[in-house]
Amino acid sequence: MSAVSAGGGNRSTTLFVLRNAPVLLFIVLLACFGLMSDRFLTVTNFVNIVIQAAHIGIIAIGMTFVLLIGGIDLSIGANMYIVAAVLGLFLKDLPLAISFPLVTLIGLAFGAVNAWFITRLRVAAFITTLSTLFIGRGIALYFSGNKMVGFSPEVLALGRASYFGVPSAIWGFAIVFIAAYVTLSQTTFGRQIYAVGADPDAAGKAGIDVRRIVFSVYCIAGVCAAIGGLISLSQVAVASSTFGFQKEFPVIAATVLGGTSLFGGRGGVLGTVFGAVLIQTVENGLVMTNADPYLYPLVISIIIFIAVFIDSSRNSILERLERRQIRVERV
Amino acid sequence: MTAAPFFEASGLCKSFFGVQVLHGMGFTLRPGQVLGLVGENGSGKSTTMNILGGVLPMDAGRMTLDGADYHPRGPREAEARGIAFIHQELNLFRNLSVAENLFITGFPKRIKGLPFIDRGRVAARTQELLKAVDLDIAPNTPVSRLSQGERQLVEIAKALGANARIMIFDEPTTSLTTRETDRLFDIIGRLQRQGIAIIYISHILGDVMRLCDDIVVLRDGHKVGQAARADMTIEKMITLMVGRTIDQMFPPREPPVTLGAPVLEVRGLNQRGMVKDIGFTLRAGEVLGISGLMGAGRSELARILFGMDPHESGDIRIGGTQVRELSPAACMDHGMAFLTEDRRAEGLMMEASIADNIALASLPKFGRSWAGFIERTRLGDEVQRISGAVRINARDIQRTLVKNLSGGNQQKAVIGKWLLHEPRVFILDEPTRGIDVGAKYEVYKIINQLAADGAGVLFISSEIEELTGMCDRIMVMAQGEIRAEFPRAGFDREAILRAAMWHGMKETA
Amino acid sequence: MSSTQSITPGSAAEATRPQRSFAVRLLMSEYLVLVLTAIYFLVMWALVPSIATADTLLDILAAMMPLLVVAIGQTFVLIVAGIDLAAPSILAAASVAGASMMTGEGGFALFTGVPIGVGILAFVGVGLLIGLLNGVCVTRLGMPPFIVTLTTMMFFSGFALFYTSALTDDGSSFGDLPSAFVAIGQGTWHGVPYSLALAGAVMLVAHLTLSRTVFGSWLYAIGRNPRAAAISGVPVRRAVLWAFVISGLCGGIASIIYTGRLETGTPVLGQRILLDIVGSAVIGGVSLFGGKGRVTWTLYGVLFLSVVDKGLQLLGLDLASVFAIKGLVILSAAVLDAVRHRLTLRG
Repeated sequence: MSAVSAGGGNRSTTLFVLRNAPVLLFIVLLACFGLMSDRFLTVTNFVNIVIQAAHIGIIAIGMTFVLLIGGIDLSIGANMYIVAAVLGLFLKDLPLAISFPLVTLIGLAFGAVNAWFITRLRVAAFITTLSTLFIGRGIALYFSGNKMVGFSPEVLALGRASYFGVPSAIWGFAIVFIAAYVTLSQTTFGRQIYAVGADPDAAGKAGIDVRRIVFSVYCIAGVCAAIGGLISLSQVAVASSTFGFQKEFPVIAATVLGGTSLFGGRGGVLGTVFGAVLIQTVENGLVMTNADPYLYPLVISIIIFIAVFIDSSRNSILERLERRQIRVERV
Repeated sequence: MTAAPFFEASGLCKSFFGVQVLHGMGFTLRPGQVLGLVGENGSGKSTTMNILGGVLPMDAGRMTLDGADYHPRGPREAEARGIAFIHQELNLFRNLSVAENLFITGFPKRIKGLPFIDRGRVAARTQELLKAVDLDIAPNTPVSRLSQGERQLVEIAKALGANARIMIFDEPTTSLTTRETDRLFDIIGRLQRQGIAIIYISHILGDVMRLCDDIVVLRDGHKVGQAARADMTIEKMITLMVGRTIDQMFPPREPPVTLGAPVLEVRGLNQRGMVKDIGFTLRAGEVLGISGLMGAGRSELARILFGMDPHESGDIRIGGTQVRELSPAACMDHGMAFLTEDRRAEGLMMEASIADNIALASLPKFGRSWAGFIERTRLGDEVQRISGAVRINARDIQRTLVKNLSGGNQQKAVIGKWLLHEPRVFILDEPTRGIDVGAKYEVYKIINQLAADGAGVLFISSEIEELTGMCDRIMVMAQGEIRAEFPRAGFDREAILRAAMWHGMKETA
Repeated sequence: MSSTQSITPGSAAEATRPQRSFAVRLLMSEYLVLVLTAIYFLVMWALVPSIATADTLLDILAAMMPLLVVAIGQTFVLIVAGIDLAAPSILAAASVAGASMMTGEGGFALFTGVPIGVGILAFVGVGLLIGLLNGVCVTRLGMPPFIVTLTTMMFFSGFALFYTSALTDDGSSFGDLPSAFVAIGQGTWHGVPYSLALAGAVMLVAHLTLSRTVFGSWLYAIGRNPRAAAISGVPVRRAVLWAFVISGLCGGIASIIYTGRLETGTPVLGQRILLDIVGSAVIGGVSLFGGKGRVTWTLYGVLFLSVVDKGLQLLGLDLASVFAIKGLVILSAAVLDAVRHRLTLRG
């Protein structure tokens, strides 16, 4: 409120701070943890953070597509577990070059089932993916018999591998990000996603095939959940019966933290990557500073809260500052 | 000049749920012809246009384009055949740029076969199209920054980009400023010279007379008249539309001999960038009009007065008491009511019944005991009485949803909501926008009755005829200030317009 | 002026209503979920006759009470087009806070002589506080409900774990609760569980509030069109704030019943029932988009889910099958609802 009455110079500073608030918050966090632990601000540690953020980040990229059309996908955790169970139980003996694409296809199929109910039967996305969350996990638990699922040694080896000095998880993260970024910003399909998210009725009237867009978006979320699941299990080597359980929450948190609106039409994958890395940075910082593990969720939720708070107040202040004025006041 | 018709529709029929809403509608279009389509809401204009635009299939009838059968199966096919629909609610995506909006259904590709957008070609082609509609903005401007008029021009550019040969305009001027309207008409003239046929739908009959070569009048799904402009008058159109002669556009208004006490006094009201130094007095029994161009600050003033937007300084007295903390609830407590210009977004709960909508503003009056239990019988009776008083046309006000009503009946529901609250000061912002002639007349009668019962009415409108017909006094706003004031005896359309255009004189002269 | 009345799906629907078949009318009825529950029950009866015994039925009723209470709170928030994802964390935080007051292993309020009273105040107080926090963030700070309650859910779930780990020996739960307190969750009066009476009272008050009071009408108006409501003098912010507070309060009360049933205050209480809470309200017909919902509908939804759960349990199925079948059942209910919605549109 005070920003409105502030003078010209002051006002542009306010605007600058507001526009870059999440980045500033990130820098503040880096500085804090850096002061508390001398192991924190190192290249190795930062690489670690990105590796650890990779699986959430990739799934959150898929979630970004879904949120952009104003949808939601709660079933990604179940999708991850199905992928893990199928890979560990049935495809253990196949080479990764075959088994990985196969399970990614399963992720795609899972997404397509969601999409079918949402676009053909017009069931609300929230309730569809809530149901498939139960169904998917139930089916996978049936096969795994509620027991740990192990994988072939190659899976773990892949998780530890580096190519051209870059760890495999970061390769995966980077490739998914670039593909998603280019799709959203440089293709007709990507721009139509934004159009559908802003106003599905208008998009339909304009001649956009809304159903096709919505369908594809849930398929993309399914594929991303599968890839994210693969990267996650390549890092832990075994999947317990709770693998992927309630992953929808950190994934949605990362996406929203990155500036994507839950109401569709606004946001992008660059922010999502930032959101995922930010959350992981906090978690990593807490580990580095030897904080009580019970405090992790408390600190992380406070950071997310602050970031979202800054974002929402920023939007309302920016809206007020950029409001159309009908009088030109001469001072 | 008079080329042969290239489009022909005949015998179009359409029924919904067994009720026929279109009976053998037909017309022809020549290249460069502007065809006006008038009729009350529900007379079949939209149905006709939706059939033409491929949104609805027809039950019977025939359409031909260039001699070949034209039976669009969807909007895309209509677009491909060169028929473009400029919708009343503009279908642009606010979160995308102008260029992206123009090409959203198919961007030029950088390399054939690959999906990547050729941004350079998009920008160049957008420049061209924007130039054709005289719009001087950068192709990557976000649509959210454009005014209503600019958005409309973008829609037209989009239709040009799709090589449209027939453009349908549905109420294009309702949210445009006078200057934007003039610009739109210039562009329409230019399209006409390029050989594009235009179908122009509007309730503003003066515009129809000014613009259209031929005029078709619809009533109850029947074509009741068609004539060239030379053979048509506004009075004739109205008579055809309502099926009876309307002697007057406005009910007789007898200004009160002596005005009552002041019910709304405003002194030195200021808000940076919005309004400056507003001062006036509204008395009981008076209808005070506020004229001005779109964006002159009329609606902004109303919103401030009703406590919806902040103000920096000023003294506001409602019914003699100074109200310091303005909010809708506080204003309502002092007997103020406000009908906003956007009845869908701000006036009504579209998914609720008529009764629920009428009751909304007065619920606390019907609350009993500390828990606020609603006296349902008394509320039901009162709502029924109000609904009768404003003559809402619906079978069961408890069950009919507002979204299923015509624009006129919807507006009556909003007015009914405020009448139940028994206002002493009633601010009406464009109360007759988008409603048909018959409903307008009824709204005017309600306003007269209100004033006769001792309420003060602040009547904001863009139609000067309406203000001169209904008001006791008219204030003219421009640039957030009150520029002039006219008593009823001194009403002069020219003078009012001149005062309103005080700033824009140079450009429009 | 009959010509101004446009021909609409609504008015046509009225005209054709009497000709509808029984099946369609059943599908359109607000009791559809109840009918589905009955069908499911009959099928189960054929498979496991023991489901129809008085004991089992009472067991189902008693087990569904805490879910019912918390889902009723959720209904208030859903009606104003919000969502309260924090509900499970309210259950957990209230459970450990309340239990820590009165546990025989050194409860904080033992010295007062009325530990149960203080304990119950703590349950309710924690619920109210979290509800108030959610409400303030949504109404005063203008943050979206989904994200506010997602973060408070993470925070208070974490807090409950932290609190328990810091204050208990085994770090997992507060046991040894007073028997008089445990009775709230388990006891009966002439065969009627106390929890049933408590939940019944909550339901009655909630139902009257929503259907008969000015406040209730305001909530629906806000859910249908917040801007129109504000312009019509509805105190939108205050009402939304109250909706969240009520949700928190219901969470606190539900936590009392749950904790009593389990005889321990535990931070994992309600950890997995978030989807049951929102799911039961939505299955009952409460709209996620606001403006539509009734306490009775939520009751039907809760009843449906509880009967489904019990049936699967009696069939002796493993966790996997329970998950899968429950999901299928929710999905089928949602598909039926979608079909029903399309029938409404068609008239």
